[in-house]
Amino acid sequence: MNILRLYFKSIGMLLRSHLQYPGSFFMQTLAQLVMEGGEMMVVILIVDRFENLAEWSGSNLYFFFGMMAVSFYLTELFGRGITGDFPGMVRTGRLDTFLVRPRGVLTQVLCGGTDPRRITCIAVGVAALIMGSRLSGIVWTPLKALALVESIAMSCLLILGLFMIEGIFCIYSVKSVELVNAITYGGKSACQYPIDIYPTPLRALFTVVAPFSLTMHVPASWILGKPLYGWPSWTAFVTPLSGVLVFAIMTCLFHLALRHYRSTGS
Amino acid sequence: MRAYLSVFRMRLRMELQYRGAMIGGILCQMFFGLILVALYRALYAGKPQSVPIESVATYVWLQQAFFRMMVASDNELLDKIRSGDISYDLCRPVHMYSFYYARIAAQKLMGSLMRAIPMLIVAFCLPKGWGMTLPASPFGFLACIPALFLGFLCICALENITVAFTMKTLDPRGMQGLLNLLMVTLSGNLLPLTLFPESWQRFITLFPYAQLLDAPIRLYTGVYAPAEALRIYVIQGVWALILIALGLSMWNANRKRMIVQGG
Repeated sequence: MNILRLYFKSIGMLLRSHLQYPGSFFMQTLAQLVMEGGEMMVVILIVDRFENLAEWSGSNLYFFFGMMAVSFYLTELFGRGITGDFPGMVRTGRLDTFLVRPRGVLTQVLCGGTDPRRITCIAVGVAALIMGSRLSGIVWTPLKALALVESIAMSCLLILGLFMIEGIFCIYSVKSVELVNAITYGGKSACQYPIDIYPTPLRALFTVVAPFSLTMHVPASWILGKPLYGWPSWTAFVTPLSGVLVFAIMTCLFHLALRHYRSTGS
Repeated sequence: MRAYLSVFRMRLRMELQYRGAMIGGILCQMFFGLILVALYRALYAGKPQSVPIESVATYVWLQQAFFRMMVASDNELLDKIRSGDISYDLCRPVHMYSFYYARIAAQKLMGSLMRAIPMLIVAFCLPKGWGMTLPASPFGFLACIPALFLGFLCICALENITVAFTMKTLDPRGMQGLLNLLMVTLSGNLLPLTLFPESWQRFITLFPYAQLLDAPIRLYTGVYAPAEALRIYVIQGVWALILIALGLSMWNANRKRMIVQGG
């Protein structure tokens, strides 16, 4: 609990420091809104032209898009320390100072960054979710709401875990490894559409290696009333747990990697 | 003139140094291309369009291959603006706009060619409907090359306009973010312009962003007949002139009222 309090306190301080430059903050937040709005526009244009994607209707696609946008940008908002700042911490040697303080390194990294500009991206995602749910005619029950919350929370952990891969590589190679973007940002682009439209190799990648389809598509399709692969409804609650699994594995690996950490010495 | 040519050459060589980053970039870009092609194939399976899927796949691959040409920016210059070191450049006996135009041109040219050539070779080897196809006609291919060059002039001019905005605001992220987004959307990187609604396409293809890669790709895939090439060149050429003139006037205005940061 102490750690949580510490975390929220640092995030609050960072937020206030971001707001010290209101002009720049406003411009950047606006840029983020336009960016995510542009992505949303692409989905709308695709739905306008093609109407359906395999057995998914256009309104279902908005729902999937909203799930991905909300999960991804919530992670970026609260986990900026890992999703963005970590390579810089290794390169400049800022990580050294974390090692001597009486708190976990991961906690301190997480406390070290937030990205409040993403709030507009989350707003676009929420709008897409509402639009998708209205147009698809979802009848909300407490169970479905629970599945949605669990799915988003687990997806956030999964995304955090995937970004930690980049951090782990970074501890060894100092330079950030662009290739990892393929499964983080690539996963975002690919999995904002339902997984079953992709050929088997891509499907395997996003089910086994980076299980976006388990944390996101299985519960989402159950909520939409079209279970993925016809799986029974209990899977909608069990498969998202793979997110916490990935996060746990990556946390262990991260701590193992830290043992090999050699400071850049600057 | 010699000064600009030599800065162009030096920058070309410097860009050649980052081969490791290049391989990572290529693999990443290929992966994105693959995802997009898979998505469009799934969409086409439900409802085929007038534009054939082979042409959409070619569009995606060419966009991904030349992605670096669009997003590469001169970080050194942006740092100089932020730190105030730009004042040293004001003392140089060269024309600043041309100097940085030559630099950015070299960076974008080498960066994109180094990535595009291996990527396009791989894309040609992919099975039909997944990879690149040959150009619609030999004339289409020939017509595409000058169009690519004119588009390249436009991209470099656009980059210099972004920098001119940064000189005013000092913080590159807001304005650069907005302009980059316009670029990614309206140049057909997020969604091929050929798949935009027809009524939009008539306007969008006249915008400067469509001149960068969309026009050459359309000549390549035969959406524009080679006979139309001259009309396309005129549109591109006019935009290149407008963008360079706009950038020049912005840089000159900035020179007169430059705020130098730091001390």
